[in-house]
Amino acid sequence: MMPLTMAQPGQTVVIRKVTGKDEVRQHLAELGFVVEEAVTVISVIGGNLICKVKDSRVALNRDMACRIMI
Amino acid sequence: MSITIALAGNPNSGKTTLFNDLTGSSQYVGNWPGVTVEKKEGRLKGHKDVVIQDLPGIYSLSPYTLEEVVARSYLVKEKPDAILNIVDGTNIERNLYLTTQLIELGIPVVVAVNMMDLVRKNGDRIDTNKLGEALGCKVVEMSALKGQGSLEAAEAAIAAAQEKKQGEHPHVFTGSVEHAIAHIEESIQGRVDAQVLRWHAVKLFERDEKELQELQLAQDLKTHIEQHIADCEKELDDDAESIITNQRYAYISRVIDRAVKKKASRHALSVSDKIDRIVTNRILALPIFVVVMWAVYTIAMGGTKVSIGTMATDWTNDVLVSEWICGNLGAWMEAIGCAPWLTGLVVDGIVAGVGAVIGFVPQMLVLFFLLAILEDVGYMARIAFIMDRIFRRFGLSGKSFIPMLVATGCGVPGIMASRTIENDRDRKMTIMTTGFIPCGAKMPIIGLFAGALFGGSGWIATSAYFIGVGAVIVSGIILKKTKLFAGDPAPFVMELPAYHIPSAKNVLHATWERGWSFIKRAGTVILASSVVLWFLQGFGFVDGVFGMVEDNNTSLLASVGNVVAPVFAPLGFGTWQGAVATFTGLIAKENVVATFGVLYGFAEVAEDGAEIWTLLAGDFTALTAYSFMIFNLLCAPCFAAIGAIKREMNNAKWTWIAIGYMCGFAYVVAMIVYQLGMVFAGHFGVGTVVALLLLAGLVYLLLRKNKYQDSELRVPVRSVAAK
Ligand SMILES: Nc1nc2c(ncn2[C@@H]2O[C@H](COP(=O)(O)OP(=O)(O)O)[C@@H](O)[C@H]2O)c(=O)[nH]1
Ligand SMILES: [Mg+2]
Repeated sequence: MMPLTMAQPGQTVVIRKVTGKDEVRQHLAELGFVVEEAVTVISVIGGNLICKVKDSRVALNRDMACRIMI
Repeated sequence: MSITIALAGNPNSGKTTLFNDLTGSSQYVGNWPGVTVEKKEGRLKGHKDVVIQDLPGIYSLSPYTLEEVVARSYLVKEKPDAILNIVDGTNIERNLYLTTQLIELGIPVVVAVNMMDLVRKNGDRIDTNKLGEALGCKVVEMSALKGQGSLEAAEAAIAAAQEKKQGEHPHVFTGSVEHAIAHIEESIQGRVDAQVLRWHAVKLFERDEKELQELQLAQDLKTHIEQHIADCEKELDDDAESIITNQRYAYISRVIDRAVKKKASRHALSVSDKIDRIVTNRILALPIFVVVMWAVYTIAMGGTKVSIGTMATDWTNDVLVSEWICGNLGAWMEAIGCAPWLTGLVVDGIVAGVGAVIGFVPQMLVLFFLLAILEDVGYMARIAFIMDRIFRRFGLSGKSFIPMLVATGCGVPGIMASRTIENDRDRKMTIMTTGFIPCGAKMPIIGLFAGALFGGSGWIATSAYFIGVGAVIVSGIILKKTKLFAGDPAPFVMELPAYHIPSAKNVLHATWERGWSFIKRAGTVILASSVVLWFLQGFGFVDGVFGMVEDNNTSLLASVGNVVAPVFAPLGFGTWQGAVATFTGLIAKENVVATFGVLYGFAEVAEDGAEIWTLLAGDFTALTAYSFMIFNLLCAPCFAAIGAIKREMNNAKWTWIAIGYMCGFAYVVAMIVYQLGMVFAGHFGVGTVVALLLLAGLVYLLLRKNKYQDSELRVPVRSVAAK
């Protein structure tokens, strides 16, 4: 497993785990970041990234992206 | 009996568009999440007894942002007669997550699948009958933007409200979870309404803190419930909250498989994604951003051939106000034999004051228009993303950038735009620092002094922006190290809307909404204060007799100004004119120029006050002028903006902290600049020492170690929920 920040733009990856146990993880889940969901990375700027999950585009900063393991 | 229908749905699903269509009102529609923060009420066109309630966008009923708190407490506590759930058809899976929660509330729900125009264009098909069967509620198609199906959706919701029929709860969860929920339902039966039993049971299963607080269960009951949750968690090897989330999604995907046919594979890149590949590209993002911003400000405020804003403003000043109104009005009033004082009041008071401000309107409108286009296209949301990395360095989040961008036009909508920031501290910090940005109304002050004392140098305006941005950065760093703002900025997560062609209606509406508050001020506060000012500076006691005065140094205004003036002496402008202008600047910043215009007795002052330059140059030196400018740029904003701060802080203590901080900061910076500037002119005194000490203090605050850095790892995002 590695954090989502390691994915390259254009790559589609599957979420294995979302770490942490708090409202932030819950919020990520509400936005569609749940285990076994596929995400497509659209662009990455210095660890911050924009990705596509469940037909919507979500921008995440590095701290958040690091919690999503692929 | 009247019926209340609440519009609920994800951010950007089209709730406000539908609300406007149904009620004929014109609420602000913005293409980024979080535009609607308060709930808005309206009556359905043609049905006086039906109230439509617009709610802020929410992703779920577990409150994360301020908006979600507002929406959840409305739905759970005030219980509308029916919920019209707006679902974005192009993103149906994620949107239905909320739907599965809404149907548990025990309130009749109608689902309206919006954006059907886009769904059809994409070649996708949604079977509303199958969807309705699965969810246990009526599902209709709609395209709120085109007004198709809106009324039918509202009528379906009315019918549902009248029937009061609650659909069968669909079996969202698997056996062992349903089993645990049934047990929880049993143990809290009688404590809550039968209708909302399931909702409370699911919330308890998730160990929702608010829920536990509100129900106040006895200890043995709690242990009993906890046992069931723990058993279930053990069986499924996951925590309760995740179990619920995952099963909701699993249920939705089963429903979607049956009811929705997508043409393109989900992971194919759409046009919007392709644009993002370029616009938010690692290398191109910043250059593109700089070019876009440069273009916006050049068109609105620059001095080139394409600077429509500047041209329109010049025309207003030189032709409309100077020639048509001023010249003709004065001559005409004299010709019809008006009393000289009346001519004076109208020409020297009203026209001088209001004219200075009106000239500015065209530039504002052009700026707001361009920003509205960027917003409606979807670029603004990307800017927040691009800027996040940079803003994070000094304790703000990327979302703070949008309020500041809007504030370059006017601080009031800028401060209001801070609502999109979820984290309480980040929002407060943004509200406190947004006022430092030179807003449109501060431009005349800069123009005035640049022209009067600096030979119209463009560097003065440029330096004003640097001072503003510098104040934001310095404040960000200093405040972040205080106890009030300790902790890292909240992590950045933001849904980005798809790019789309801007709608003329949305853009014009946003432009007008923001521009109107500016125009309204010119017609009201500035008009009134110009009259009052003209009176106060024209009348006074001479030899104990009250009357019109020749020399306004003997006026009422001068007496009042002289009392306050010493406060500003350490900053170099301890004259009564300086004090009065600073005060009138609080009414509206443009008023500073209007004030000098009236005080120096000029019939008409252009936007940059060209006529009074020579007089002003007599009273100010380059240094005192610069110090005056700094103080007025950074100190408390105008009353309208203070009002906005008060509304957004929603707390008297914080409002005062914000105002106090801004004034203090402005005073300190202006004093340091003035006193140290005086050293170059050969003056050295007590003031110099104080200024040096203040400078040292400022540097210390900037550089000291942040002792709160790691003390708080968890970001208290939900602190807003506690209110
Ligand atoms: N194509 C299309 N766009 C829509 C439709 N309804 C709303 N929009 C757009 O979606 C964006 C968000 O709409 P808004 O009403 O502010 O959503 P809210 O956040 O739910 O209140 C705006 O840019 C609207 O113009 C629709 O039926 N079709
Ligand atoms: Mg809205």
